[in-house]
Amino acid sequence: MLIIMHPGASQEQVANVIAAIERQNLTSHLIQGVEQTVIGAVGDSHAVGKEVFEILPGVAGVTRISQPYKLASRQFHPLDSVFPLDGFSVGGEEIAIIAGPCSVESRSQVLEIAQAIREAGANALRGGVFKPRTSPYVFQGLGEEGLEYLAEARELTGMPIVAEVMSVAQVELMVKYVDVLQIGARNMQNFSLLRAIGETRVPILLKRGMSATIEELLMASEYILAGGNPRVILCERGIRTFETATRNTTDINAIPVLKSLTHLPVILDPSHSTGLSEYVAAVAKAGVAAGADGLIIEVHNDPANALSDGRQSLTPEKFATLVRQVKLVAEAVDRHLAPVID
Amino acid sequence: MMIIMKPGASQVEIEHVLEEIKVNGLTPHLSVGEDHTVIGAIGDTHAVETAVFEVLDGVESVIRISQPYKLASRQFHPKNSVFPLDGFSVGGNEIAIIAGPCSVESREQLLETAWAVKAAGAQALRGGVFKPRTSPYTFQGLGEEGLELVAEARQVTGLPVVVEITSITQLDMMVKYVDVLQVGARNMQNFALLSAIGKTQTPVLLKRGMSATIEELLMASEYILSGGNQRVILCERGIRTFETATRNTTDINAIPVLKSLTHLPVILDPSHSTGHADYVGAVARAAIAAGADGLIIEVHPDPAHALSDGRQSLKPEKFVELVKQIHLIAEVMGRKLAPVPTTQAA
Repeated sequence: MLIIMHPGASQEQVANVIAAIERQNLTSHLIQGVEQTVIGAVGDSHAVGKEVFEILPGVAGVTRISQPYKLASRQFHPLDSVFPLDGFSVGGEEIAIIAGPCSVESRSQVLEIAQAIREAGANALRGGVFKPRTSPYVFQGLGEEGLEYLAEARELTGMPIVAEVMSVAQVELMVKYVDVLQIGARNMQNFSLLRAIGETRVPILLKRGMSATIEELLMASEYILAGGNPRVILCERGIRTFETATRNTTDINAIPVLKSLTHLPVILDPSHSTGLSEYVAAVAKAGVAAGADGLIIEVHNDPANALSDGRQSLTPEKFATLVRQVKLVAEAVDRHLAPVID
Repeated sequence: MMIIMKPGASQVEIEHVLEEIKVNGLTPHLSVGEDHTVIGAIGDTHAVETAVFEVLDGVESVIRISQPYKLASRQFHPKNSVFPLDGFSVGGNEIAIIAGPCSVESREQLLETAWAVKAAGAQALRGGVFKPRTSPYTFQGLGEEGLELVAEARQVTGLPVVVEITSITQLDMMVKYVDVLQVGARNMQNFALLSAIGKTQTPVLLKRGMSATIEELLMASEYILSGGNQRVILCERGIRTFETATRNTTDINAIPVLKSLTHLPVILDPSHSTGHADYVGAVARAAIAAGADGLIIEVHPDPAHALSDGRQSLKPEKFVELVKQIHLIAEVMGRKLAPVPTTQAA
């Protein structure tokens, strides 16, 4: 960490900062400039907050040099983390495709979609049963009944299940049914939830918050990793910007940036990151071309009558076309689609 | 356009709106709801501002239904516009790669880069001579001396040249030297400059402003098109967001969105949209996979000593690799790289 002193900071203020550095078990290194003094705080500073120094008199600013995350960092763990799931793996050579409806609406809907996406080449089934909807007056999900349907779909197709958990109170129930717990964008910084799932051994799909920086996403993953759960998949799902032509703005930069900063698998959700089904395929291909390890895509057998996210859901036919295109792009970047479960 | 009246708007206020619609050459269509009265204004509204109605008493809001741009619109011109440049074309099946230094720094630097990007497979050379730098104290470009060097590079390599114009006063001189005039992000809404360029017949590379919406970019292109210059290439170069890990945020959505809204060619500048040489290759591949018609990429023989944008410039060796990867992505998209010009430009 670099502590930059105000021009004209007193000798006493500088001494004060040096004492504070030593109290944090760091070593101080003084650099006397012409106008300003800069003090380096050398050592393992990932658990030291900048505020400790920012509040001291005479300090103009504090710049962090090393990353505030450790377990998620590629520095700490240089090789890619590869997690085996049922029948395929995430984070290695294979590109994993998770697909399914935004919400589980009925038994027949989820079973029909599950079979259609499996046939099209999906590796896992997504489906929400607890839905974080903007309006409290619209469909909120089927709850445990929906989990029963997902379990049946899993039985029928062999595909592992990805479902979103919204609250600490749901964790116990969810882990009985699902293969991957999803943390949605709105809960990326629900720290008590992150801690609770960090204590489970269920793989996590952690979505980036809609106004979270890449570093904040990595810090959120650190909560889960620090709890002892090493299987975290990160997901870019678009951020909030001034652009209104699409629901969100796909931060495609986040893919290569995350792949360089962390060993964790990184996937893209082009359904939420565009919000419009006509742009999903183009952005899905872009995700894989940029180095993403997988995709999560909303598919509905009848988008026009979907209870949520119909505007961004693909029909099974459009999804089958997308998988064929993604397969080609994967090959062009020396990767291949994960095998579909028998 | 749909004009939504406030709940309880008076009959007189509604009459006023109906009149104003007719004054603008449009036909009104009244629908009275339980709470709100909504009045449609039907006809060619692209030249009518929403403000004309927004200021009237009793009006709650105005919603534009049709696009405010016309010449740029795919509705108006359903087929892709394909522009021939020297030896290749933009907007068709071919992917064009424009490459070169951020700034023209010296004869040696420019020629070395030009030959290197040509050997790697670029179809055109970029190089700035008037530089819009954030700080007035840093290198501002070589000006006309730089244009002479660009002309020489063009002559010897046969590559058409793309150079940024930052002021209307440079226009007469620039069109003598360059094949494509670039309007940079900071000038996307320099309307006097856009209008002046619209009167030339030089192809234009129009970059999206760093806080411009897709619609504002299309409106900027409309300034050029309506002046009579039909050859406008649009360029996504990243937008300003809260993310600080990269210089800008590449709005990859803009590629398929623009390709659906407009017939104009759309390219991506991954150098500016990431700001880091390490990420340029990945984002360049993403753009072609998303349907972009080309790329513009900063290449410098010695990025560490570049006078501008060194952090985001690729070394020629890295650029060679990038072109190979782009070639593979283009193929799976059913497209191909444009041929490198072989003959010397006239």
